[in-house]
Amino acid sequence: MKLRMILRTIVLRTIAKNTFGIFLRDKLLIVFGALFVCVILMMMTPLLTSRARTTVSNMEGMQTYVLGMVSATMYMVSGAGSLLAAWAAADAVATELKSGTILAVMARPVKRWEFLLGKYLGVLLLMACYVVMMFGLSYLLAWMGGQRVSAASWVLLTYPMVRYAIYAAIAMAVATLLHPVLSWVFTLLLGVAAMMVVPSEEPIVNSASRWLSTGLYYVLPSTQFLSEDRFLNIKQATLRQTGWAEHFLALTYGVDYALLVLLLAMWSFHYRSLKRD
Amino acid sequence: MSVPALEFQDVTKTYRRWLGGQQVAALSQVSFSVAEGEVCAFLGPNGAGKTTSISILMGFLYADWGRIRVLGCEPGDVRAKKRIGFVPENFAFYKHMNADKLLRFHAKLAGVAEDNAARLIPDLIAKVGLSSYGKLKIGRYSRGMVQRLGIAQSLLGDPELLILDEPTSGLDPSGRKEVRDVILSLKAAGKTIFLSSHLLSEVEQVCDQAVIIDRGRVVRAGTMKTLLDTGDQVEIVATTLPEELEAVLHEWGATVKRGAQTVSIVASGARKREIVERLWLAGSDVLRLNPVKGSLEDLYMKLVGKGDAA
Repeated sequence: MKLRMILRTIVLRTIAKNTFGIFLRDKLLIVFGALFVCVILMMMTPLLTSRARTTVSNMEGMQTYVLGMVSATMYMVSGAGSLLAAWAAADAVATELKSGTILAVMARPVKRWEFLLGKYLGVLLLMACYVVMMFGLSYLLAWMGGQRVSAASWVLLTYPMVRYAIYAAIAMAVATLLHPVLSWVFTLLLGVAAMMVVPSEEPIVNSASRWLSTGLYYVLPSTQFLSEDRFLNIKQATLRQTGWAEHFLALTYGVDYALLVLLLAMWSFHYRSLKRD
Repeated sequence: MSVPALEFQDVTKTYRRWLGGQQVAALSQVSFSVAEGEVCAFLGPNGAGKTTSISILMGFLYADWGRIRVLGCEPGDVRAKKRIGFVPENFAFYKHMNADKLLRFHAKLAGVAEDNAARLIPDLIAKVGLSSYGKLKIGRYSRGMVQRLGIAQSLLGDPELLILDEPTSGLDPSGRKEVRDVILSLKAAGKTIFLSSHLLSEVEQVCDQAVIIDRGRVVRAGTMKTLLDTGDQVEIVATTLPEELEAVLHEWGATVKRGAQTVSIVASGARKREIVERLWLAGSDVLRLNPVKGSLEDLYMKLVGKGDAA
C-alpha cells in the first residue's frame, strides 16, 4: 500500500516536472519576462522622481502616491498572470493531444486523473515562479519609489497563487472539451463576467436582476477578494484590519472553487477519447 | 484453462460528431482473442479499424458495446498497463529530450527502479541501434530513429504483452530486419505480441496467427497454418503440355499457366502421379513437383483486395 502510494507520487511528480520543463522552453514565457522588464523600465522614471521629491513634510502624501502607483502596476501584472495561468493550463493538455505525446504517456501505468493532476501541478509550479517574480517586482517598485510594502509576505504570495489556481482549473476543464484558444477566451470571459456581477453599493431595484446577479456572483469565479493588490495600497499593517477569519474564508473559497473545477476537469477528461487531434 | 492475453468480444464502436451529426461505424461486432505467448498479426487496409481496435485495447477510446479484456483486466487498468509495452502508429515524443532522458521519463512512469533503469536504458538504446545518438535531441531524429526509440521504450519494464501498431513504418530494410529480429527474440522469450502491420511478408515470417479486418469487421482469423493451408495441391512444372492433355487437366480441376519455356500445372495431390505419367508418355520432361503453399499476400488480396499491402 505504501509502495503504491510512493509510485503514484512519483508518477505525479514526473508529469508535473515534465510539464514545467516544457513551459520553460516555451517562447510565451519570454513574452512575460519581457513584460516584467518593460514594467520596471516604465516605472523607473516616475518612481525615482517621487523618491527624489520626498521630503519630511510631504512624506505621507508621497507614500500614498507611490504605493498607489505600485498597486495599480501590480494590478496589471497580476492580471497578466491570470491570462498566463489560463493559457498554460489550456495549452498543457491541448499540446499533448495535438502532438500525440499523450499516447505514449497514457500507455504507461498512469491513470487519467493522475495525468491531468500532474499537468495541473506543472502549471501551478510555473505560476508559483510567476508569483515569486511578482512579489519581487512589487518590492522592487516600492523600493524605487523610496517606500516599503507593508503587507505580509504570505498574503502577497498566497492570494495570487489561489487565484491562478482557479483560472488554471477552469481553463484545464474547458480544454478537455474545446480548442485551447476557445478555452482561454472562455476563461477570460468568465473572469470579466465575474467582475461585472460584483455586488455594488447601489441597491438593484429589479428583483430578477438582483437574483441573477447574486446567483452569478456565487457561481462565477469571483476572485475580487482574492486580489492581493488591495494590500499593496495600504500604508499601515493591513493584516490588523483584515482578520484571520476573512483571510481564511477568502482562501478557502478559492481553494474549494479550484478543487471543484479540477474535479470536473478530471471527470470530463476521464470520458474523452485520447487520440491525436 | 488460461486467460487469453487479449480478448475482444462483439466489440462495436461508432464515431459520432457532436450535436447528432454524421456517424461512422468504425468497428462492428469484432471478436478475436490472442492466447499468452502467441504472436498475432492484425491486418487490414487503411481505415479498416485497426488503430481504433488498438486504441480501445489501450483504453484510449471507449467501445460502445462488447467485452474487452487485456491480460484479464479492463482496458486502461493500470495493473494491465504495467505489463504492456506499446508502440503507437507514428510515435510522437517530447522533442526537447534525448533518448536517455525520454527512456528515464518513461521508466519513472512505468515504476522501474532508478538503478534498474540506469542499467537497462543503455542496453535498450544499443539494442535498437541508437547508441551513437544518445545525446541528440529527439526533435532532430529521422522518422526511422523515432520508430526505433518507440520500440526501445516499449521494452522498458520487461512487458509480458507488446502491442505494436505499425512498428516498421518509416524504417529502411535493415531497420525492418532489426525490428523483426527483436520481435523474434521476444517471441522466443515467450512474450505475447499483437502486431498491426502492412508488411505481409514479414508478418508471415514472425506471426503464429492473424486477424484480418476490413471495414470494421473481422473477415478472417486463425493460425497461420490454417490461413495459408491450400489443401493437398501440388505444382508441376514441365517443358511442354499437349493440347489434348490440357483439356483433360481442366476437366480434373487443374489450372494451367503457360510460360515461354515451361508450363506450370496446379492440381490436386491425388492426381499428381497420373499427371506426371501422362506428361512423360507425351514426351514432356517434368522439371519440378512441389506442394503449393499459399501466401498471406494472396489471401489478403482475396479477402480485402484493395492493394495497399506492401
